[in-house]
Amino acid sequence: MRRLALWGPLAGLLALSLWMLAAVQQLPLADWPVVPYDPAGMTLDQILLAFGAMPRGMVALLVGAALGLAGALMQAVLRNPLADPTTLGLQAGAQLALVAATLLAPGLLAFGRGPVALAGAALASGTVLALAARRGFAPVTVTISGMLVGLLCAAIATALTLSRGEYLLSLVIWNGGALTQQDWSGAAILAAVLLPALALALLMARPLLLLSLGGEGARALGLPAMPLRLAALAVAVVLSATVAAEVGLVGFVGLAAPAIARRLGARTIRQRLLLATLAGALLLSLTDSALMLLAAAGGPVLPSGALTGLIGGPLLIALLPRLRATVPPETEAGDRPAPRARHPRRVLLVLAVLLPVLSLATLMAGRGLGGWGLLDPALRETFLPLRATALLASLAAGALLAGSGAILQKLTANPLAAPEVLGVTGGASLGYASAIFALPSPGALELALGAGGGAALALLALSAYALRAEMAPARLLLAGLAIGALSSAVLAAIMASGDMRAWAVLGWLSGSAARATPLGAAALTVLALLLAAGGMLAGRWLQILPLGGAVAGALGVPVTAVRLALILGAGLATGAASVLVGPVSFIGLMAPHIARSLGLTRPRDFLAGAMLTGALLMGLAAFGARSLAYPYDLPLGLFATLIGAPWLFAGLMRRT
Amino acid sequence: MVRRGITRRRLLAAGGCTLAASVVLGAGRAPRLAAIDWAMYETAQALGHAPVAAAELIRLRRETALPPAPGTVDLGLRGAPNLEALSLVAPDLVLSSNYYGFIEAQLERIAPVFSRDLFIPGEAPLPRVEAALTALADRIGDPAAGQGALDTYLSALQDLATRARPFTDRPVCLVQIGDARHVQVFGVDSLFGGALSRLGLANAWPEGTRFGFNAPVPIERLADVPDARIVIAGEIPLAARRDIARGALWNALPAVAGGRVIQLPNGNPFGGAPSAQRFAARLVAALEAAA
Repeated sequence: MRRLALWGPLAGLLALSLWMLAAVQQLPLADWPVVPYDPAGMTLDQILLAFGAMPRGMVALLVGAALGLAGALMQAVLRNPLADPTTLGLQAGAQLALVAATLLAPGLLAFGRGPVALAGAALASGTVLALAARRGFAPVTVTISGMLVGLLCAAIATALTLSRGEYLLSLVIWNGGALTQQDWSGAAILAAVLLPALALALLMARPLLLLSLGGEGARALGLPAMPLRLAALAVAVVLSATVAAEVGLVGFVGLAAPAIARRLGARTIRQRLLLATLAGALLLSLTDSALMLLAAAGGPVLPSGALTGLIGGPLLIALLPRLRATVPPETEAGDRPAPRARHPRRVLLVLAVLLPVLSLATLMAGRGLGGWGLLDPALRETFLPLRATALLASLAAGALLAGSGAILQKLTANPLAAPEVLGVTGGASLGYASAIFALPSPGALELALGAGGGAALALLALSAYALRAEMAPARLLLAGLAIGALSSAVLAAIMASGDMRAWAVLGWLSGSAARATPLGAAALTVLALLLAAGGMLAGRWLQILPLGGAVAGALGVPVTAVRLALILGAGLATGAASVLVGPVSFIGLMAPHIARSLGLTRPRDFLAGAMLTGALLMGLAAFGARSLAYPYDLPLGLFATLIGAPWLFAGLMRRT
Repeated sequence: MVRRGITRRRLLAAGGCTLAASVVLGAGRAPRLAAIDWAMYETAQALGHAPVAAAELIRLRRETALPPAPGTVDLGLRGAPNLEALSLVAPDLVLSSNYYGFIEAQLERIAPVFSRDLFIPGEAPLPRVEAALTALADRIGDPAAGQGALDTYLSALQDLATRARPFTDRPVCLVQIGDARHVQVFGVDSLFGGALSRLGLANAWPEGTRFGFNAPVPIERLADVPDARIVIAGEIPLAARRDIARGALWNALPAVAGGRVIQLPNGNPFGGAPSAQRFAARLVAALEAAA
């Protein structure tokens, strides 16, 4: 805590002086208006200060504080350092509500975005909590449920938008995180939510500390674990929903602030809650004041939400080595290991037979100008090559992503590991966007090179980091998340100052199988086969590695080399898949889950099953994406999410 | 693709032929045009060669200055057009632009592509879309239609410029409202900005167009152009209406306080010459009504 005595006031002073610097540039101190502010008697410059810069500075502090507190609360409850306000699916829920209201009932928005966004966020988090309640709010379940609900909301919102030929989605995604104000109403609303929330959180600090001993220990002390977790999460939900409604998406503060608090030596939960609130406020205030100065100096006007990722990402990476942040090994009540299939080979055989059957069906059947039906023989010559290219690329990409996810999950012994978590797809997106914005009219090759280069760079950064940090799995995941957030922050900043070219980026971000070329599809297939072969060879290592580095080393596995090789393989597979079909999401998370619930637990069976499931999922997704809203091609990755997520929900519910 | 589709296709072809027959043409059969880009769609419409298919038809119908004929086929998203639908239409020529350069190879698999660089950041698009009128007319073998359309368009703008002369006393700041705190601004490198200068009105915004996905310009920046008339080129989003009406900053802007705000209906800021002309006509009418 001694560090705090030094750094706390220093950071506060820095934040204040940065803001003053920006404000004085706008209007010399001598001309500042006196309280109370009345626009009627003020000059325009005074109004700009009193109703622009001043509330903006206040909103930066309040939003940062709210997110920091929400993040600290969620991490305390979930005992998961990866938890942050987006984990419960609130942002996506709020977005879905806004999209649905705009398209279906625009009258609802006449009262502003706030109530609609709040309702959406509450509904999404309610769903998550209902799912989680069935397993006593076990941390892993809450996180998975939250991510799934978030994905599902995002997928529905996008499908809704694109199927009506709108690009409204973009508005919802990118119009976030700008803290510009034109009166004090935003600050007032945020303060009215933050202050009671902080009081409530501090009241809960001691019980939460007891809870951190584990569900069993708390229960033995007579503590009502479930209501307590529910109450703490509810406070976090209200906080983040208010932020989402008022300023939109402000990334990473909810993740970075609690990490800073721990780094500063916060031991008890009370200290962490308070410090995370403070750290969040200062972090966002510093960011926003720096942006105001940048804009005043003639630089670009960037939304602060896009930029917090820039600061937050590297900060988190720097903090990681000192972070004793591991997922607690305690087995949750009701978290029985998945049953092992008695005949895994039979399960694999069924999957392997399903693949050609599905392929043939989606090649021959579909939807055209006249409705659903079989492919007309006269049209086979034109259509079959088009469909076969798209199908092959989809199957291969699905297998690659699933294989990559399976390897990462075995490697990190973390069921939440997925290619997206490694930041590889973020790097690929960034490379693709750079190619579009740097070249006048880039062709397919330039774009592929751009995306591949971006993926490779992200991978290199991750590998360099992983080597230095001795590749502790939990740290690897955090570093990957940081790289991903960094990429998406840069991307958001590019898009924010962008123009129509951003459409091309958006089109790719949502993924489309129709864009694959025959050569690309063939290349993907070869890569998928290579990954499968490599995975089979590495089967023994995949069995041993989850036991931990020490055990694996004692058994004679060259731990560092093997981990590096597996990371590189998984990264390349992800990069290749995302170059051609877009950074399609979460097949790498879902397919291994499904394979596990089918009883495929031994590494080779698990990997083969995951790759087959991934190919099947992506094949189905490609078919649905092209047919459901014909002639509008729905985003491939989002459609895959729509197919796979209910499956996972069912699995989560059943295992109670 | 589907069995029932064939009769439908014949119907469409018949419709296309009737449409083509009603237009005076230089040579034989009218080419079947399919438009991916909306500016190109409007260009073809202005030439009297209505495309038989266009991308994002649902939204196009609402925004374009020249509505598509009934029976026009929807090709899906502009960024990811449905190749199967496109090949069912059997176009002679696909109309595209530099925005869709990344899918040109796929389009070429189905039909020849006519593409022009239209909207380039920092460059005025209006001369480019005007040039597209004659270029497309030449490409489809009907140069007379190109010259005719260009002449009609230029003389219409000439008349509007005469009517706009009383309003050249103040510059115009062209915006679209994003939310209660942000706007999009049209600079000289926008279609509407080009129409503005054709009318002889000065654009108050000194920088390039800021028309991103989000509304990138904070409302306070509008205080930098105190003399200007503010023209809102499109409807204000419902979610922003109440907040913007109450906002202290918005109401303190000189143009707002002085009653110099004009609002136009939604247009197509990335359209062709017809959209520029419609915008100019709406603007002049609104200025006259406010005077």
